[in-house]
Amino acid sequence: MKSIFARSLFKSYNEINAVDGIDLDIDDGQIFGFLGPNGAGKSTVIKLLTTLIQPTSGKISVLGIDTVKEPLSIRKKIGVVLQQPSYEPTLSVERSLEKYGMMWDIDKKTRMDRTEELLTAFNLVEIRKKRNEDLSIGQRRRVQVAREFMHDMDLLFLDEPTAGLDPTARRQLLDFLKNKVKEKNLTIFYTTHVLTEAEYLCDNIAIINKGKIITVDSPNELKKRFGRKKTIKIHVSSNTEALGNLLENIQDCKIEFNTGATITIHSTDSEVVLMSILKILNQNNIAIDDLSAIPTNLEEIFLKVVGDSNASDNQIS
Amino acid sequence: MHPIIRLVKRNITISVNPGFLIWQVIFPLIWIFVAGFAYSALIDEVSFGTKNLSYPAFLASGMIGFNIMNSTLISGIIIWNDRRHGMFEQIMSGPFTRSNYILSNITTIAIVGLVSAALIAAVGYPVFFQSVEFSLVTIPLIVFSSIVGAILFGSIASIISARLRSSEGFNVIINTVFIFFAFVSTAFYPAAGAPQPLATIFYLNPLTYLVDIIRAGIFGTITEFVILEMVVLVVLASILFVIATKLLTKMDF
Repeated sequence: MKSIFARSLFKSYNEINAVDGIDLDIDDGQIFGFLGPNGAGKSTVIKLLTTLIQPTSGKISVLGIDTVKEPLSIRKKIGVVLQQPSYEPTLSVERSLEKYGMMWDIDKKTRMDRTEELLTAFNLVEIRKKRNEDLSIGQRRRVQVAREFMHDMDLLFLDEPTAGLDPTARRQLLDFLKNKVKEKNLTIFYTTHVLTEAEYLCDNIAIINKGKIITVDSPNELKKRFGRKKTIKIHVSSNTEALGNLLENIQDCKIEFNTGATITIHSTDSEVVLMSILKILNQNNIAIDDLSAIPTNLEEIFLKVVGDSNASDNQIS
Repeated sequence: MHPIIRLVKRNITISVNPGFLIWQVIFPLIWIFVAGFAYSALIDEVSFGTKNLSYPAFLASGMIGFNIMNSTLISGIIIWNDRRHGMFEQIMSGPFTRSNYILSNITTIAIVGLVSAALIAAVGYPVFFQSVEFSLVTIPLIVFSSIVGAILFGSIASIISARLRSSEGFNVIINTVFIFFAFVSTAFYPAAGAPQPLATIFYLNPLTYLVDIIRAGIFGTITEFVILEMVVLVVLASILFVIATKLLTKMDF
């Protein structure tokens, strides 16, 4: 079953399309990454999907329910962590969790149990008595995310949930989310700027720019499709003086002289270039100290995809 | 549990904190027992309807209306705080409708207003008990006017919360409104005897109507003028309530 289904989705403000004809198909139990630069329309899409705002046109169904006709039925089944902080300043961390559970009509015993579980899972035990207004940005964010797990849900929207978190807390959160998906077949709609996160967490990724989805695929498929150039680095420390002349006819490689020399190959045919270089080095008795292949990461793909999209828009205009 | 009750519980939890209680209890106590008795040297008696009241009794009865205004303005600020701290969007993305949210705020305001009124009535009772003249008509009148007053001032706070976005603007407006309501009214001093322009301005202030009605209820001096004040209060509260509800309904994200 589809957790999220959207067709020809538009949202306009003052005749500007913040969301410009988006289609979405997200299956149950999937972690779906939604990437895009600032102002690309990520948060607007989340607000549309969580029924906070209505589309200008188009159709959206969340958990099989129409967002325009039955918004409340959807909101009862989803969890939402919005991009901006949300907290009750005067409540302590533990009371925030407990009261949030009460708002969701969770019985007292379950509320108490979940509060303890989440305080531990989100490393909040030491600050459980601290008031929200006295917390750091990262601590407040952890409370905000933890709070959402006080209630049961089928679909969770997370809008840049790791903003302000240190690397340890970030990894803990990502692992917690992965476990929840496994345990409860939860579907997660996840927006982020941190591409390594999306790569680590998401089954599928959509890249959005200027309100339009440019591409949707799994991280591996995206790498195959867009990450055609591979990078290989060779470090040598002896007989480096002649390297410049020896490799001057080899394309797609550059030499950096440091303690020895580093030859960087960045090419769609990295293997072929590598073979040519190895042959030359061998013929000239130049020993290799180190050789490493750097895999294509999502960041490069993101920059390429968004860059290409901006360039094609500029050409059209 | 009904969503409105859940939201009311939440509203009361976040509103009732030590600071709020001190403000609600200590501040009126100082007015009644310090200012009230200290000013007795200057103000011997205050004429109210057919009765002459001691100044502490006059002030204590005025503080009931004052406290309703004060507490409900603070409760009305829940909406402002919810917007400021991101809770409005969070609640609206949860299992609640806008109507649930609006009605829960109104209910919270009414509860806080009534409790405040009861609190000050209890605290001030030793001061005004000698002149009290309760009847089957006056007690319901006091309760009804307290609820109407709470809705009126809660609506004003809600309108300000819904319209303003900057903290500076909000603080300036809410403090100005508070000072006008508190001190340009008959809560602390009678309109009779004040310079005519000031006495007229007193009656541009809904707190004057609320205080007059509550005093009349406590001291059993209900006149035609008090009934007219009641009508004005109800009409004004209804208009402000409708405006507040419309603004809250249209509040965007």
